[in-house]
Amino acid sequence: MSRAVSLCAAGEIPVGGARRFVVEGHEPVAIFNLGGTLYATADKCSHQRASLSEGEVDGDEVICPLHFQVFHIPTGEAREGITRAPIATYAVCVDHGQIVVELP
Amino acid sequence: MSDTITSVLSDAAEGVIDRRIFWDREIYELELERIFARTWIFLAHESQLPVSGSFVTTNIGSDNVIVVRGRDDVIRAFLNSCPHRGNRICHAETGRTRGGFVCNYHGWSFGLDGQLQGMHETDAYKAEPSFDFGEHGLVPVAQLDTYKGLVFGCLDPDAPGLGDYLGDFCWYLDVLLDNQDCGTEFIGGCIRSVIDCNWKIPAENFAGDALHAGWTHDSGARAMLDAPVPEWWGKESYQVNVNGHCWEFNLDLVGNASTFGDKRLNRWIRSREAEVEARLGRIRSRMLGAFSSVTVFPNMSFLPGQQSFRVWQPLGPNRVELKTWVLVNRALPDEIKEVYRKGAMMTFSPSGVFEMDDGENWEYSTRANEGVVTRRQKLHYGLGRDSRLDHPELPGNVYRNQVNDANQRAFYQRWAHLMAAETWAEVPKS
Repeated sequence: MSRAVSLCAAGEIPVGGARRFVVEGHEPVAIFNLGGTLYATADKCSHQRASLSEGEVDGDEVICPLHFQVFHIPTGEAREGITRAPIATYAVCVDHGQIVVELP
Repeated sequence: MSDTITSVLSDAAEGVIDRRIFWDREIYELELERIFARTWIFLAHESQLPVSGSFVTTNIGSDNVIVVRGRDDVIRAFLNSCPHRGNRICHAETGRTRGGFVCNYHGWSFGLDGQLQGMHETDAYKAEPSFDFGEHGLVPVAQLDTYKGLVFGCLDPDAPGLGDYLGDFCWYLDVLLDNQDCGTEFIGGCIRSVIDCNWKIPAENFAGDALHAGWTHDSGARAMLDAPVPEWWGKESYQVNVNGHCWEFNLDLVGNASTFGDKRLNRWIRSREAEVEARLGRIRSRMLGAFSSVTVFPNMSFLPGQQSFRVWQPLGPNRVELKTWVLVNRALPDEIKEVYRKGAMMTFSPSGVFEMDDGENWEYSTRANEGVVTRRQKLHYGLGRDSRLDHPELPGNVYRNQVNDANQRAFYQRWAHLMAAETWAEVPKS
């Protein structure tokens, strides 16, 4: 059963920004703010240990800082690079001013 | 060896050249140090690097480099070798990388700015107190600058800037690069071939060898155009040079362009003459597609009117890799761009009629120097020793008559000055 986890105040991640969250009992989560819309994905690259929230965001894609693997943020699809393994994506919303992510 | 170089210096002024400079490996090795690792070398056209992550790899003498446009739109260049174990970082000739370059050997990865991002087992390095990621990026090319779309790099931090290096030759380069507001671009890809000749032989040919055109290319011209290459002696024509950069030309507007045998091209160039005259003046407007050839010292050459643009990359004392592109004004109609693209393939490409003519001569001009006695015989570069003139408009060292050895003497004087000099401070301006 999924659980809703509150991460931070919505204003803390500006447009174009990204941030990593450590959640107990779960892999770290990355929140991206693409043009005012929030997206949540796994923060760890599906290839090797690297934090995607530290990568460059280019349009609706993030480029892993370690080996430059490109992921589509809304779907988690692995697009260009070394691996075809996608990253997990999670439902995210703003509830009472807080960013809330639905984790499995 | 220093005797050879000293003698070239005095010989070039006298109009003779020592053949050893086309054959001896010692001299070639010194050229890599004192010419290629010290002068400004053409690396890329900006149109090859349209967006962030666009890159090309190329050579500065014996050093392979990556030229890449960063996220901040700045073009940078780095030695194409991993600072960890030395492996080549980028094996592609051109392309786009989204984030940077990853070494095949141990996964050392470098961003578009050359900074070290990480490697396989990054945590092992992060646990190393003395390891500073900021100190182990790709080694940058010491200087990088552009002139109107052309990207040049220089491996010597103490070399004069590109503006000083090109000097008054920019006045001439604008005939190619600034005859219209739109700027220029490369169209099509890079045509690559290898010729077994010393790199200076084609470079000096483009610097000033109008003489060969009517003879070497006579049969090709007759086959392509049903007519010989015209003789130009006695008509208004020039050789000019600045700092060893050389342009030989007449003022016939379309002489080079005519070799494609396509009337649309000649009509197009004639249609632009008045506009270019308003922009650059009469003389330069008449140079637009004229019978002419150019070398920017040491190894970048082009043919106005045919728009064939090339570099002669040395692969040893008697081998060059020739890279050719077609450079045109961006705003050129597609139909005319296509005329240039096809024309380049028909004339100056591995299957081109004129390239075949030249390549054969250049290979034998190099190989003959294998003979130990032959090599001791000096070559004649004495034509036009009394042709120097002061011209009211043309900057640089100006000589009347494009059938002349003046530019080639200037090319070798510049070569000898650089070869003899320990530092740039010792290199005279010419």
